[in-house]
Parts: sequence; C-alpha cells; structure tokens
Amino acid sequence: MSLNNDPFLNISNSIMNSYVKEWQAKSKKVVGHYCTYIPEELLHAANLLPFRIRSTGNKDTDLADIYMVRFTCSFVRATLDMALRGGYDFLDGLFICNSCDHTRRMYELFDLKVFKRKGFEKKVPRFYIAMPHIITDEGFEWYHKEIEEFKEEIEETYTHQIISDQDLLNSIKIFNKNRDLLRKIHELRIIDAPKITGSEALQMSMSNSSIPKELANQELERILKFLKESEGIKSNVKRIMLVGSEVDSTDFTKLIEDSGALIVSDSLCFGSRNFLDDVHIGDGNNPLKNISKRLYYRLSCPRMMDDYDRRFDFLRNEIDRANIDGVILQRINNCDLAGCDNMLHSHRLKDLEIPVLDLDREFYQADTTRLQTRIEAFLEMIK
Amino acid sequence: MPNKTEMGNRIIPYQMLLNSMSTTHELIDKILPDSGLPSLRIGLEEVLSVVRKDIEKAREGLPIVGYHFAFQPEYLKCFDCVPICIEGVSFFLGALLLSGVETYYDLIGNWGHPFHTCSAQKGVMGMSLEDLFKFDAIITPTAPCDSTCASYPFFKLQKKYPLIIADMPFLHEEKSYKYYGEQLKLSLEELGKVIGQEPDFEKMRNALELENDVTKLKMELFDLIKAVPSPIENMFNPISAAATIFISGTSENLSFYQRMLELAKNRYKNKEHHGGEERVRSIWPYMLTFFDISLCEWLDRELGMSILLDIFNYNLSDLIDTKSDSDTLFYGMAKKAMGWPMVKQSSEFYYPFLDDCIRMAKDFSADCFIYTQSIACKQFGAVPQLLREALHDEVGIPMLIIDFDVGDARMTSLKAFKDKITMFVQTLM
Repeated sequence: MSLNNDPFLNISNSIMNSYVKEWQAKSKKVVGHYCTYIPEELLHAANLLPFRIRSTGNKDTDLADIYMVRFTCSFVRATLDMALRGGYDFLDGLFICNSCDHTRRMYELFDLKVFKRKGFEKKVPRFYIAMPHIITDEGFEWYHKEIEEFKEEIEETYTHQIISDQDLLNSIKIFNKNRDLLRKIHELRIIDAPKITGSEALQMSMSNSSIPKELANQELERILKFLKESEGIKSNVKRIMLVGSEVDSTDFTKLIEDSGALIVSDSLCFGSRNFLDDVHIGDGNNPLKNISKRLYYRLSCPRMMDDYDRRFDFLRNEIDRANIDGVILQRINNCDLAGCDNMLHSHRLKDLEIPVLDLDREFYQADTTRLQTRIEAFLEMIK
Repeated sequence: MPNKTEMGNRIIPYQMLLNSMSTTHELIDKILPDSGLPSLRIGLEEVLSVVRKDIEKAREGLPIVGYHFAFQPEYLKCFDCVPICIEGVSFFLGALLLSGVETYYDLIGNWGHPFHTCSAQKGVMGMSLEDLFKFDAIITPTAPCDSTCASYPFFKLQKKYPLIIADMPFLHEEKSYKYYGEQLKLSLEELGKVIGQEPDFEKMRNALELENDVTKLKMELFDLIKAVPSPIENMFNPISAAATIFISGTSENLSFYQRMLELAKNRYKNKEHHGGEERVRSIWPYMLTFFDISLCEWLDRELGMSILLDIFNYNLSDLIDTKSDSDTLFYGMAKKAMGWPMVKQSSEFYYPFLDDCIRMAKDFSADCFIYTQSIACKQFGAVPQLLREALHDEVGIPMLIIDFDVGDARMTSLKAFKDKITMFVQTLM
C-alpha cells in the first residue's frame, strides 16, 4: 500500500471535484480565495465552502496575457487564464486581499473580465480585505476591524442572519483539528525514514483546501493511521527543505524528488506555514478576535515587511528538526517578495554553511531541463 | 571626532549628484540660448541650491535620513537632518551621469537581488554595498509596491540602518486616512528617537503651508497645459518629478513653480510651442525614461509630440489644513500622502485610475496615451489593457504600451523608444 493514487490526494489533480459538486447540489455556496490571510473559519461558520484558488494543470496563460503584462507572476496569470476559460465559473463568491501586487488586482480583473464576460450571467459577489504590511498592535486593530466588517458583509450577502460565537467556535474546533492532523502528518515527514514524500504532502495540502473540512479531517485521519502503520522511506537521498513562491503543482516537487532528493519540510503557502498554530479557544469569548489574532500574528509570508527574522528563525529551526541536507529557495519570476526574502536567506544560510540553491522558475514547467540540471548539480554538491 | 570631509563622505552619491547637476546646468547655461530647455535650467538651479545646502549640513554632522519617495520630504522638516530620497538618487544620477548607474544595479544584482525589482531602489542598495552612503536612519511607507516592501529590509538587515516603517493601508477611505495619519505621527516620533531629536511639528507646519502654495501654483499651471499648443515643454515633467521628491517643503520648490508658471503664461499668451509646432498631444499615465530624459526634448523637437502629463504631474492633492489641531493636520498629511504620485494608483482599485485617465484625456485634448510598463511595477501590471479599452471606448484614442525599466537603459533602449513612438505617431497622422 502507498499513497499513490490515493483518492484524497488525487483531488488535488484537478480544480473541480465531486465534493464541490455535491456541496453545490445541496444549494450551498462555494467561495474562492487566493490567500491564507482570509479567515476560513469565518467562511465555514457561514456555511460556505472556502476554495483556495490554484491553477493546477494549466500550462497556458494566453488569455490572461492580454490583461496582465509579462512582468507579472505566471501563477496568478495561470489562475486568471483558467478563470477566463470558465474554470472558476462554479464560484459563488470571491475573496481577495492585498497579499501581493499580483493577486490583489484579481479583484478588478475578475469583476471586469471574468464575471462580466459574454454568456456568464451569474452574479458573483466580491469582497476585499486590506491587510497591514507590518505586525504591530495598531495593525492588528486595523485587521480585526476589517474582519469584523467582512463578517457583516457575509451575513448580509449569504447567511442573512448573525453568525453566532457558537458557530464560530464550532468552526474553529474543526479547523484546529485539521491543523493538528496536518502537524501530526508533518511529524511523520521529517523523521529519519519519512512516511510521506514532499509531492504527496503538497497534494494533501491542496486537496485539503478544496473540500469541506469535516470530510478532509476524516481523510486526514485515515491517512495518518495509514502512515503510522507504513514503513518509512529508507534511502540515502538528500533531505531538502523547499522555500519560496507558491507551488501548486507536483511537476516541480517531483522534478526535485526524481533527481535524488526528498522534500522533508518546507516554508510554502500550500505547506507547513498553514498549520503551525491553532486559533486559541480559551474561555470561548470573542472567537472572531481569536481568529484574527492567529492569522495576523502567525508565521508571516514574505508580504509582511518587517518580520524577516521570524521567518528565518523558522527555517533555521526546521533545518535542525528535520535534519535538512540542503535548502532549495525558489521564486516564480517577478515575485519580488519571495525573491528578496530568498536573497537574504541565501546569505544567511551560506554563513551557516548550509547548502543552498536559489532557483528562479515559471509557474508552469517551461524550462525543466535547466531546472533539473541545476537541481542535480546542487544535490551532487551536498556532501 | 570625524572632520567635515569625513562627515560629508557619508553621502558620496549626493556629491556625485551635485557635480552632475552643476555640469549639466553649466552646459545649458553656456551653450543653449535662453529659450533652450528653460525648465531644465530653472529646475537644476533650484534643486542644486537645496542639494548644496544638504551637503553642507552633512559636513556639519547632521543626521542622514534616507526616505522613500512616497514619504513626503516636507514631513521631515520637523527635524534638522539631511533628507536623502533613495529612489530620487538612483534615478536622477541615472538621468544625469553619462554612464548611468547600471554599475550599482549590477552590484546589488550580483548580491542576489532579483532582476525584476525596482531600479529606483537597486541604485542606492548597490551604493550602500560599496558604503557610499552611511544613513543614520531610513523611513518608508509600506507603499506603493511589493518592490518597496521586499527591498527595504535589506537596509536594516544587511546594512544595519535603523528602518522606520509607516504602514499605509490599501483603499482610500476615512478610516485609512486616520490610520495612516497615526502611522505618520508614530513613525516621525520613532525617527526622532533614533536620531536623537524631538520632532518640531510647528516647523513642519510651515513647510506644509509652503507646499499648499505650491499646489495652488501647480493647479494654475495644469490649467494652462490644457491649452493648444501646450505652453510647457516635455522636459518639465522629469524636472517637476525631481522637484517634488527632492525639494518639497523648501522655498526653492515654490520658486521653481513660480518661474515655470511665469514661463507658461508667456508661452500661452503668445501661443508658442517649445518644439515649434505641436502635432501630437500625449499623456503618459506612468513614468518617463529616467535612464535618458533627452527623449523628452527629442519628442518636442523631432515629432512635435507634447507630453502633457506623466504620473508625477497629475496627482494634485487637497490643501492640508494647517490651522487646526494636530489630528486634523496628520489626517491631511495622510490624505496627501495617499494621493501622492504612484501611491494613489497603487493603494486603491483601478476604477478611479481609469476614470482619471478618461477625464484627463478629455480635459487636456489628448490625441493618444503612451503607457510605459516598468518591469518592477507589478501593481500596474494588470491595468494597461483595461486602460487601452477604456480610452478606446470612452474617448476614441489609442494607447501605445512600451515595456521598459525606468532607470536601466539596457532593457529597452532609447532608440527602441524612438522607433516605437515614431511608428505609432505615423498611425495617428
């Protein structure tokens, strides 16, 4: 037995899946979002299915290239392309925040070009959350107010009734359980004989963000049980940590793992940064504020301007914990945020004599041979 | 105790800027007739005056404060310091030095800075690697772009310069102005602690009043530009950008706009065009080629193309209420800051930008738009086609898009610019 062809992992291979269809067949709404700073617990409490937008499998950006210049991120362009081709017509709402200069413009482009295109009649509400760029008390107050307003908008648009604290608490418990399961699985990934590959972990994470969390939890429990009983991967391949821009396709992770490495940890948007900590429940008071606190104060993504040291500390600790042989930093071309973080990581890791490879790439595997050559050379270099 | 020379050496690129401006000014003054490039002559005189004073202040040991161009220099008038605009230095040295500042872009590029980030920051980052600058502090907002947020931590983490950040929210709403006003106040207080000075907000108030007067002059000037032919030469645009980001809050800035207004009035009265005949009226909703601003003069004289406005020259803010309490003052400052060139367009949705462009096209009788898409400005990366469609549908005018790097001649050369625009103009005639 292995996770090969596991039905749960296979959900990640496409955008639409049977769970989404079943959800909508019950007249329930599916809402799309790009960023982990969107409060999913709140959406869940509103009986909405949050769907993390990705572009798995799409290698085309032709249509999107009309509206986004070549200096923009090919991941975002690929998602827009998919949307322009109807791939996201199933959405009943779109939630955008100013994660980066590329994704925040999806608010206007979905409005003007996707949802108003000829033949598309559905009215799709859009919402915007303005995130601060630094972590301060004032910034938290701002962010929490945004989340409070966001809640009111959701109540007005979807639930037509107040989302109660009890609803929020129930959702928090389900999401905390989800993160706990992911953490437990992650622990089985970083051990000496990892029970799961990096590509499988990525698939799991993507599937997890594409179906109702209650069902995802059942699947993750099944997988955890299976992994505990399975034999680990015993080999002498190099243990790699993967860091940087969005990765939502196993094409790239498989390229690394097929070159003689195992990705045993990561700092990625679809990776470990998502499940490091839980929403505090405490005495159950003000659950919405606790949701905001977790999102705002958690380990940041490079969009947070003055939080680099914490991000590097995480890398440093994870390198020790997961017994990492080398770090692959990667950025999708034109991603300034990951690019500059990687620049700083690269110097600090070299100072610590930790082997590091800094790769630039496109979202789709346009230049596999170049990447493969660089990855293989890097792996050979690691002693 | 360091001597005056050592103190002055904390801002070596400013000395380079002074020298390049002085020689350029001397050339214009001695070779060209009075009618040749007056805006460059006047602008250089005024900016030179300020830069000279700043260099002297540096030699006297005042703290060196680097600031992002989106942090208004007049706000720093609450301190006795030497304000250095990071982006301004990169681009204006790029414009004035014969060999540009590509050497410094390459230095930081070789250090690992991604090629697609902004050359406005790359220049000073490279210079800092060479220790040509020694900042006592750097202050920046979290706007207008990813490149700013991603690049500035380098100064703090690698160069150990204290970095003060004012968080600017996305979206222009009342709560945004209040939040950013508070951020401005907190950041100025923090800067004061770093450089060991108490901010003198009364002194700053005077600078804001002076800038209110500048805004009035600019409004008058922009009304004149609506005339056919435009009474302002193209070179005014980059020089006005320099004045805005280098010398706002000084009497020299006021003097610059007074002199330019006088010039424009005379030309308006005589229906004169700097290039002889105005054949095409263009609006550049983004930036000009700072790697070689001679393009402006070439367009005027060779193609008869007027650049009516560029991004640094169509963002007019409301006057700041300087007579009321401190909260009102900072609220006004925040509103002005969020309406600053490039910041305005980057901190709200595209809809107002599209509306503004359509309005400008009509008000200024533009024949076309030329949209320069910079490699670094991802916040603008999704708007060109939307704008092109809007201009076509609402005004019936075309838009040319040219990819480039604002400060690096190697991406799209001046010749490529000239060729593309020449061909485009042929389609208009």
